[in-house]
Amino acid sequence: MASDNKAKPMTSLLNEDNQLAAFDSSAIPKQLLPVLDVEKSVPLTVVKVDPLALLKIVKHARESFPTPVNGQLLGLEINGVLEVTNAFAVPTQPGSEEDMTNYQVEMIQCLREVNVDSSSVGWYQSTRLGDFMQKPLLEVQASYQASPSGMSSVVLIHDTSKSEQGGNLSLRAFRLSAAYLELAKKESFGTKDLAEQGLTYGNILEELPVHVESSSLAKALVAELQWPKGVEQELLAEMQRPSSFNAKLRARRLADRSAVADDSESVSESTDSALLPSRPAAYLGRPTSSLVLDQSSGGSLNRQLEAISELIDEHVHDANQWMYWKRGEAKVKNSRAQFVQRRAQSNAAREARGEAPEAEVPEAELDRMFRPLPEPSRLESLLNTANLNLLSKGVTQSRGPALTKMFMAQGLHESTN
Amino acid sequence: MLNLNLPTLASSIVKSGATTMATTSTQQCYVHPVVLFSVLDHYLRRNDNQERVIGTLLGVRSEDGRVVEIRSCFAVPHFETEDQVEVDMEHHRSMFALHKKASAREQIVGWYATGSKLSKYAALIQDFYSREAAPFSAVHLVMDTELTDGQLSIKCLQGSPIGAGAHPENCMFLPLPYELQYPDAELTALQAAADSKDSEEGYAVLISDMEQLENSIEELKAMLQRVTAYVQGVCKGEEKPNNVIGKYLMDMLAVVPKIDSKQFSTLFQTHLQDILMVAYLTNLTRAQLNIADQLQRIV
Repeated sequence: MASDNKAKPMTSLLNEDNQLAAFDSSAIPKQLLPVLDVEKSVPLTVVKVDPLALLKIVKHARESFPTPVNGQLLGLEINGVLEVTNAFAVPTQPGSEEDMTNYQVEMIQCLREVNVDSSSVGWYQSTRLGDFMQKPLLEVQASYQASPSGMSSVVLIHDTSKSEQGGNLSLRAFRLSAAYLELAKKESFGTKDLAEQGLTYGNILEELPVHVESSSLAKALVAELQWPKGVEQELLAEMQRPSSFNAKLRARRLADRSAVADDSESVSESTDSALLPSRPAAYLGRPTSSLVLDQSSGGSLNRQLEAISELIDEHVHDANQWMYWKRGEAKVKNSRAQFVQRRAQSNAAREARGEAPEAEVPEAELDRMFRPLPEPSRLESLLNTANLNLLSKGVTQSRGPALTKMFMAQGLHESTN
Repeated sequence: MLNLNLPTLASSIVKSGATTMATTSTQQCYVHPVVLFSVLDHYLRRNDNQERVIGTLLGVRSEDGRVVEIRSCFAVPHFETEDQVEVDMEHHRSMFALHKKASAREQIVGWYATGSKLSKYAALIQDFYSREAAPFSAVHLVMDTELTDGQLSIKCLQGSPIGAGAHPENCMFLPLPYELQYPDAELTALQAAADSKDSEEGYAVLISDMEQLENSIEELKAMLQRVTAYVQGVCKGEEKPNNVIGKYLMDMLAVVPKIDSKQFSTLFQTHLQDILMVAYLTNLTRAQLNIADQLQRIV
């Protein structure tokens, strides 16, 4: 399609000047430019997630909680906006690499037959406590971003327990930063490399803002779930009949956010068609209010704190190891310097005695004699630090709402006394 | 490809008598919201000139088969003409096999279709799915994507054989009571979808926990104000009193726990200290990490 539109202005240029015009990007209609952007010069700015993909991720993560799961994201990337329109689960059972690839290829083929976006735009992973910074994650994401078709792949991280307890969806989109990719290519994570690339625990991954965008039909569905037509009148009508035991039961079920379908009544009402006149099917109301206002933080705070203290231990261990290496390195350097100095001194002494000085020891020889200790890879400790940072940040952030809720409870208590 | 012909064409590819199989009838149905969104997505991505889309419903059943939980679904291409319907069986089979790998527990429980009324081939397709879902009866979910009466109605049906001779085309669809399931995690996702509906830009930005809490408190305040206004109205005699509402209010007030003031303040203080302590420690940890990072650069 793009080439058709482009063909015309180019041929017209040819006819006019009777010579091949240079490729002129201004001849391309402006709205087509992003489509033709093969080199991906437009950086990703935002990730748009369709409720369908969102629900699929949430469902998959919830069903196998607390085991972390992952899956593929399907969608489109246009003009710096990554649209995630569908997703599918990847089996968690260990299988051969080939099986996995086959599964994904087959799945994408099947989905293409029913017009689902068939290009992979990344993958998703669920996490339990929020410490998702693991080596495999970085490796998989690096392989996604290295493939030519997946330059703009993202990884979506969904935190099930946080979503459930906080009553607020926890979904974050990440990409590996250029600094990390550069170092990963060289596979060297020494202190010097890190400092050169400016890579710290905070910028291994770049976060992208996540938007949720639904189609008009999906919006209609949400409206239907939230407030089915007629449910208000029905509730009111039931209220007017105080004798009806049903009213109380129904109202309670409605208030419980659970869906209500009282089709036993509709059976008697409809006789004319096979399909019944639709009844208020469900009630979503304000779904998360009661979740959000829930006081208890559950056991998750305990688990988070445990994880934090474990990570701190590891962090200290890593730091000690690094110090050990540093000391070892200093020792080697020291003895090397001493050797050179001694040689210089003895040469000076020889010269004073009028003897021929000993030959200078070449650098390579020196290196061989005093082999510098290789620095252990800093990646592990970097990830550890990143996780620690993530966890403590999460806990700090969760304290704000907890405080607010406490003062609410106090207000309630004072007003009742 | 499975070709299902209308009986007027006299060809009987479909073996009759299948519906007489002793199927346990389904009595209650639970639907997961992801199914509804999948159906809508499939409908939006249908081919040109295609009026309805169909697909397979997957889920789990209780042991006796009376309660069905529809957990997911996938689209199946099909082709309708005046007197014949084709369902892409191969696609159905391979998709099911693929789904089985990722979530082994989910079985075929029925099928879905869109449209305001049943297609004339519904009975034939229902017969096919009944055999797939055997030994239980198949559930048929219909979504009115044409928005008749400005409503997106959702119905669950089950087929029941009718007439003297057992022919697959003789089938009556009976309504099946169903409920939508909203697990906590999904509610948060639906809330995000609802926010995207209400926002002016047409999309929702994910907000922080604190903002979410603020919204909830605002809502709670609005609700309390509404109730207060109503109660005052009743007291002044402006509103008509309603015993049922009064009872609800009574129930609600009774739920508020009565705690001794002293006890409450001790509880409050200790909890407050805990929270502040945790916040302090985690902040300290982060500060330490930052210092360590900065120091390492100097080294």
